[in-house]
Amino acid sequence: MTWVTWRQHRGQAMVSLAVLAGLALALFLVSEPMRQAFGQDGITGCVARGTRTAGCQNAIGAFLSSWGFTYNQALIALLIIPGLIGVIIGAPLLGRELEEGTWRMAWSQTVPRTRWLVSKLALVSAGLVAFGAALTGVFTWYRAPMDQLTGHFTEAAYDFEGLCLTASLLCSFAFAVLAGLAARRSIAGMVAAFLPWLALRGLTDLFLRQHLAQPLAKELPASASIAFGPNTTSMTGNAGDWVLGATRAAGHVFVTYQPAGRFWTFQAIEAGGYLTLAAAALGGAVWLLHRRAA
Amino acid sequence: MTSMARAAPAPALRAERLGKRYGKAWGLRDCTLTIPAGAVAGLVGPNGAGKSTLLQLVIGLLDPTEGRVRVFGETSRAHRAATLRRVGYVAQDHPLYRDFSVADMFRLGRRMNPAWDQPLAERRAAALDIPLKRKVKALSGGQQAQVALTMALAKRAPLLVLDEPVASLDPVARLDFMGALMAAVADNSLTLIISSHVVTELERVCDWLIVLAGGTVRAAGPVDELLARHRLLTGPRTASHSGLPGVVHRADSDRHSSLVIRVGPREPAVHPAWQAQPVGFEQLVLAYLRGGSGARLEPDTRIEAVTR
Repeated sequence: MTWVTWRQHRGQAMVSLAVLAGLALALFLVSEPMRQAFGQDGITGCVARGTRTAGCQNAIGAFLSSWGFTYNQALIALLIIPGLIGVIIGAPLLGRELEEGTWRMAWSQTVPRTRWLVSKLALVSAGLVAFGAALTGVFTWYRAPMDQLTGHFTEAAYDFEGLCLTASLLCSFAFAVLAGLAARRSIAGMVAAFLPWLALRGLTDLFLRQHLAQPLAKELPASASIAFGPNTTSMTGNAGDWVLGATRAAGHVFVTYQPAGRFWTFQAIEAGGYLTLAAAALGGAVWLLHRRAA
Repeated sequence: MTSMARAAPAPALRAERLGKRYGKAWGLRDCTLTIPAGAVAGLVGPNGAGKSTLLQLVIGLLDPTEGRVRVFGETSRAHRAATLRRVGYVAQDHPLYRDFSVADMFRLGRRMNPAWDQPLAERRAAALDIPLKRKVKALSGGQQAQVALTMALAKRAPLLVLDEPVASLDPVARLDFMGALMAAVADNSLTLIISSHVVTELERVCDWLIVLAGGTVRAAGPVDELLARHRLLTGPRTASHSGLPGVVHRADSDRHSSLVIRVGPREPAVHPAWQAQPVGFEQLVLAYLRGGSGARLEPDTRIEAVTR
């Protein structure tokens, strides 16, 4: 089955590699001027010595205003790449066999269809994990200077680094395998899998993530200026802390936040969620395929 | 062991009260039939008669709702390599992967079948002038059908099942395909089951016939025996013979009636106003297909034709 799987998916593997290479080249070209500015504007020194001085605040403010959009808001658009690749590879895996009738040939060879499917899923998933890891590496390298200013909890960092990108890629793939089987069509399966995947990603980014662990609370003097979000110039005083809320009362400011050190814990929890959903969808596909004979 | 060796060889196919239900509707019901080893069996019926269901139950693509089917004595079950190995299958429209080359398809066959006969596959491709490097999508429909047949043959299974193999082919490709098929069957002492709604294709090659309609077996048996046990009666049209036993199908014109009837071993005594003629293959099949649910040849029943 290894050769058969490779032969059927080698075109997709080539296209995925081309996407990876193109993305790496594009990000390299965009990243070069930013890396130069990072050194020239004295930001390297600020990050090393502490960012509280007015000079450093101004330098960081100017740097963020010229590069913030490219590295934060614009990058979010690339988040659909793992979702798209997952559904494009996942939906035809069964959907195309069913819509073109080749399942009758494929499943009447001397390999029972559930074994056929499990072998294919294992091999293609392994390829996707390798692809996801490479994509994560490229993005992490690209974001490295900016991460020193914004921390890893901002969506543009969090969703592209660590485990979540690969796990959510496997999740969209698994949704699409199941949807392709249910719809008996490739394209319909892609759409039917991509929309819930996108909803799940959005919901996680905007609402669920901040509740993955009980936030910490801190009491600051009333003079503290309130700024939400993950930031090096975080009002908590710790680089990369993610400020969730702040209330001014009785001469103090009470801050709730997720400390920067929880990045990997959060990544593990969120990736675990995606992988659980992926395993459920793939298990469902194997079960449905087995039941089709009954 | 000795008694085993002396026992009659298991039939290629034995279905016992086989039934398959899809939701509330039965795709096949109460199907009992036997096909001996070495037979070339034609499975005839209109679309939706249950032909594909029966074939998929035989090859292990489906599991029955009731009853069972045995291939060379062993029960066919879905998801079992042992079942899949015993049967070569050419599905309707002979599906292949379009972007695979012929060599790729053969390599798939080799990877997915323990008994794969690569020299046989390559010999056949060479004999048919099909280049191994050519992509499947660049082959003609007839060539694609030949590649699908070659894959089923190279699997080296003793039973070969073909579902409407020539339905999508032009007349020349049909002849070529059936010729190649019959040569392969003769060379390899295979048992063959071919489903088709093109009766004339089957008449030339089949020595065993199964008529399927409405999910039930209407008639099954050796072709020569089935022909010998039926007669076509023609005579003046009367209303009285509607309740006759053994009538498979009756067709009335203004003045005449013609009846296909079952007969016993003896030549039937026929009223002088009626003529009895042997029945043809196609006439027989059509009589059973048109005869409605009442037209059913029970296994091992002998009905004497009674015609005044």
